[in-house]
Amino acid sequence: MEWHGYTGNILNVNLTDNKISLTKENLEDLKQFIGGIGINCKLFAERFKPNIDPLSAENLIIIGTGPLVGTATPGASRTVAISRFPATGAIANSCGSMSFGFQLKHAGFDHVIISGKSDKPVYLLIWDDHVEICDARQLWGNDIVETHDALIKKYESCGTIAIGQAGENLVFSSLTLIDRTSTFGRGGLAAIMGSKNLKAIVAKGSKGISIAQPKEFNKLYKNLFERIRTYPHRESWHELGMLRSLPVGMMLKASGQNKKARQCTDRFYLKKLKKRRIACPSCPMGDKDILELKEGDFAGLINYTSSVINPFLMFMFEGLKSYTEAIKTFDLINRYGLDSLTMVSLLEFCNKLYKEGIFTKENTKIEWSADYNTFIQLIEMITHRKGFGDILADGWNKLAETYDDIGEEMLVVKGLDVIFEPRFLHLGTMEFEQVVNPKGAHVASGGSPTYVGAGSSKDKFIAHFKRMGIPESAIKRLFSPPFPEMIVNVGRLTRYSEDWYTVLTSLGLCARAQMNRFWGLESASEFYNAVTGFERSSEDLRMAAERTWNLMKIMNMKEGFSRKDDKFPKGWFKPLKFGVNELEFIDFFGETKITHDIANQLLDDYYDERGWDKENGLPTQDKVKELGLEKYL
Amino acid sequence: MVNKILYEIIVHEEKCTGCLICQLNCSYVHKQIFSPSEAFIQISNQYSLTPKILFLEGCTHCNQCAQHCLYGALELKEVEQ
Ligand code: SF4
Ligand code: SF4
Ligand code: SF4
Repeated sequence: MEWHGYTGNILNVNLTDNKISLTKENLEDLKQFIGGIGINCKLFAERFKPNIDPLSAENLIIIGTGPLVGTATPGASRTVAISRFPATGAIANSCGSMSFGFQLKHAGFDHVIISGKSDKPVYLLIWDDHVEICDARQLWGNDIVETHDALIKKYESCGTIAIGQAGENLVFSSLTLIDRTSTFGRGGLAAIMGSKNLKAIVAKGSKGISIAQPKEFNKLYKNLFERIRTYPHRESWHELGMLRSLPVGMMLKASGQNKKARQCTDRFYLKKLKKRRIACPSCPMGDKDILELKEGDFAGLINYTSSVINPFLMFMFEGLKSYTEAIKTFDLINRYGLDSLTMVSLLEFCNKLYKEGIFTKENTKIEWSADYNTFIQLIEMITHRKGFGDILADGWNKLAETYDDIGEEMLVVKGLDVIFEPRFLHLGTMEFEQVVNPKGAHVASGGSPTYVGAGSSKDKFIAHFKRMGIPESAIKRLFSPPFPEMIVNVGRLTRYSEDWYTVLTSLGLCARAQMNRFWGLESASEFYNAVTGFERSSEDLRMAAERTWNLMKIMNMKEGFSRKDDKFPKGWFKPLKFGVNELEFIDFFGETKITHDIANQLLDDYYDERGWDKENGLPTQDKVKELGLEKYL
Repeated sequence: MVNKILYEIIVHEEKCTGCLICQLNCSYVHKQIFSPSEAFIQISNQYSLTPKILFLEGCTHCNQCAQHCLYGALELKEVEQ
């Protein structure tokens, strides 16, 4: 058959015996799971064996893109990887941006299934029909930037996924970068690649993607593009990127670090740091940053990042005294392929335990002081698994096993540290998501509902719910929280946010707020049909998303996860010292203190909205049957 | 007779984000496929510090690329007749 949008091809690469083969996409599967994160889950579930070592040859990495990727559909840029992650032991998808997915599609593949383990360092080259497992001995030991640059020099315009030394040394908090910029695979994707001796993947394509119904597509594209072109805040997004949405300066100020807050303002960023804005293919709302340090000890340093807020968040750590130290530290973390968010959490946690005398020079063999040099030393020790760094490299779970009674103090869910602190940001869907996400504490799928509606009226919320395709019949329940003052029920709402995120990520669309806002379930389905020539209703897409999320849950059920793991970190229920303030765990509108009972009620509501069993937090037989997932049980 | 307004494209490489929207639109309009390698505008070193923008032989001066560049890298300027 003739494929549009999709390439119709799945590439199989076995690193153990150097075998490369091709399989065709199955139309029935596409109907059930669309593409991207959905087909990733389906391909993984078919090949999945529970309880294998994530860092063994038995683990798989499946990388996928969606049917809209490779076209001009705005924001169609996603690359998604599924695997069993070492930090958590969970089966999870990670999502990234930049040009890898685009290049993979143009090379003629929708998904790549990587299995086995090479006996020497290799990288995978996918260049149109030429697929080759290449010798990477020269690249092994290099950081991500060096690796990327060497590959770009060799292949010119191409998309890369590369690991640094942290991945080579199987550090659990390692991740990869796409095109040296976009973080990809929080929870140890780089370690999984490292365990397979896979240093990088290169995609380069020239085949092009065709459209099934050009007339229909042109109409949709023209309308959407015009809406984006005339969006009043477009230019300020271009100017400031993600800094527009998360004013880190304000957070620093609130935490009492005024001097540092002045180094994180919009003006400071524009004058002292911003070098160039870059964007994923097809994206008219680009927010990626190339930063340049123009002064200080590290003047001349160039850093690529998915956003300046990443190094700025690093700056929250009190031990870093100037923005140049923060950028330098962040750059090192990026190069090694570590997770900057986890590094800050770890550092703050260690700092606390040293202050309390639980960590000492004797039991950690580190002369601790909360400053730049110690931070750098710790990063080196973790990356190269030296001394105390070797324990930290095995993640939060190992740390909790090694030292008595510290697990309770960790702000961690399922082995991943929380990113958004609800005592500062209140309990929105993005904070709640961190508790129920099968992947562990991560923010992505809970991203839209409360943030877009932040501080606004009920009507605005409803308009937003409708855009996401939330059924009319659910709306009343979404406005029935445990206490009326809370207005929205973030537990119930998170279910729909996950589904909406899954629709976008199955099609290959970016879910970041500034792109997400232009999409609705209806328009996403229209684009999908025009591009592929399929005839799917928005309800079909929504169901496919629900099916995907349930399948991911079923796989994690087989790994032993259940309600007992969807645990609110204990620390959230205690006040957080923030500058002169003590912040409490409160609901999204700041009216109600979240107690254990309310937290449990919200969990009950989440499972109920999902049609899952409240006792064990897992899909019921009825739900599994309704979604046609019996064969995966 | 109504005079046709003519435009020329002024290139500002320093503003280019490497989004490839220009190439995608060019190839789609002229070859009915989304394919940067088929476009008459080439963006090289897409994400480097110094991206290069080049118009190739065959460009019809239809301005589709510039009309879709939202980053100001391809500025349309009216040409006096
Ligand atoms: S908003 Fe950012 S992440 Fe999303 S497609 Fe655009 S450049 Fe990529
Ligand atoms: S010239 Fe404009 S449209 Fe083309 S890649 Fe650069 S920023 Fe994007
Ligand atoms: S002006 Fe030239 S390069 Fe631009 S879209 Fe038209 S043909 Fe392509």
